Amino acid sequence: MNTFSSSPASSSTPSSTPLERGKTAQEENLISCHFCHTLCKLPEVKDSSEQNNIKNAELHCPCCQSVIHSRIPNSLSKTWALLIAAIILYIPANTLPIMTVVLWGDGQPDTIMSGVVHLLDAGMWPLALLIFIASIFIPILKLFILTGLMISIYFKARWKPKDRTLLYRITEFVGRWSMVDIFVIGILVTLVQFGNTANVSPGLGSLSFAAVVILTMFAAHTFDPRLIWDAIQDGSVESQDIENKEIKDQKNNTEKVG
Amino acid sequence: MSSNQATEQKPNQQQNNLTRMACPDCDLIQTLPNLTIGEDANCIRCNATLFKYKKNSVDRSLAFAITGLILFVIANLFPLISLKALGITQDGTLFSTSVSLLLAERPLLGILIFLTTIFFPALTLVGTITILIQVKTNQINSITAPLFRFLRSTDAWGMLEIFMLAVLVSVVKLGDVADVIFGVSLFAFCLLILALTLLSYSLNPHDVWNKLRDSGGCRL
Repeated sequence: MNTFSSSPASSSTPSSTPLERGKTAQEENLISCHFCHTLCKLPEVKDSSEQNNIKNAELHCPCCQSVIHSRIPNSLSKTWALLIAAIILYIPANTLPIMTVVLWGDGQPDTIMSGVVHLLDAGMWPLALLIFIASIFIPILKLFILTGLMISIYFKARWKPKDRTLLYRITEFVGRWSMVDIFVIGILVTLVQFGNTANVSPGLGSLSFAAVVILTMFAAHTFDPRLIWDAIQDGSVESQDIENKEIKDQKNNTEKVG
Repeated sequence: MSSNQATEQKPNQQQNNLTRMACPDCDLIQTLPNLTIGEDANCIRCNATLFKYKKNSVDRSLAFAITGLILFVIANLFPLISLKALGITQDGTLFSTSVSLLLAERPLLGILIFLTTIFFPALTLVGTITILIQVKTNQINSITAPLFRFLRSTDAWGMLEIFMLAVLVSVVKLGDVADVIFGVSLFAFCLLILALTLLSYSLNPHDVWNKLRDSGGCRL
């Protein structure tokens, strides 16, 4: 366990740095702590064996003692694994019944889609729309966005990094709301227990669906949005120009948003 | 990367010992501007929120967290909604929702619902109260940092507001077939959601981190 001194911010940055081209923490050999955002300095290295040691060592934030890393380790392979698992489970989640409603002895297994259709038939279209968005639209959206982002990083795309970061933030934010269907099943199973007359039992589809939601939440968590920007940082003159322009554009806007 | 180097000193500026930080989303190093109450600092490159400065955030968050904890206890004591049909009344509490899934041979779903609607919200409330009291009384100890890190990383797993939406959906669904009775706890539950929302809005994690940076081994 190595603990490093955090960079003395007041001394290392003169407050009036002319704005030329933004540097990332990685380029300055600093690591930003994921939790407390303290900038931590990597120790100076003399030879390559020492460099290897540091690469393999677990670094800890001097301020909050959390494990720090410049980028989430193995972010891409972890995210791919979770994403592929989620895509596979998405099939049983939609084809298997999520719950069975028994009314007067008649059992009727419902999948997610047939549940939405039943609600539409009953004239409850706001509810149908809500369930459709939460249980069908959002999971598909998440799977597509994450897959797209992963592919764009694989090809080191420089295309609209700001918009891609926004897409990532959207996936991170809306993902949890898919859980609403699981909770509805839970409440219905609790309340509708009237023996053979009326009862609701959860199906296997609900389990797969919950797994899809959880796996995509974890996938969004292990995905490192800084990888989107690393492709732009990668040296070429063209990309630097784009970035310079971007920063100049931004400079005119106020930095503080009230 | 501050573009306003010559900021005049405003009267109510925050005490912040973090002057330079890297954007968590794009890693660009930026100098934090001096903020006044109610202002946010956003990343110049990707527009992520770097820092927000809220008035009295420690006191307010503590008040909301304590309110939330009281409401959470009340919301768990009595049934949220009940269903009346054929002369039988079925009560639904937060806890019985996870138990009924356990009994319906879906133990994993039961555990998931227990974690997201009872365990993590309770932990968030108790943990936030503990940490904010420590910050207020300057009694930072060795568990503060790990506990707060744990709370920050499990923030997304407390899903009471989603459960609230699910309650509404169930009420509308069942309203046709049977009599839905709103329980005592439902009102406490609605207020709990409000308290939790206000808590997450008013809480400024940097209050805690600043304290840790001050008291810990890293003086900036």
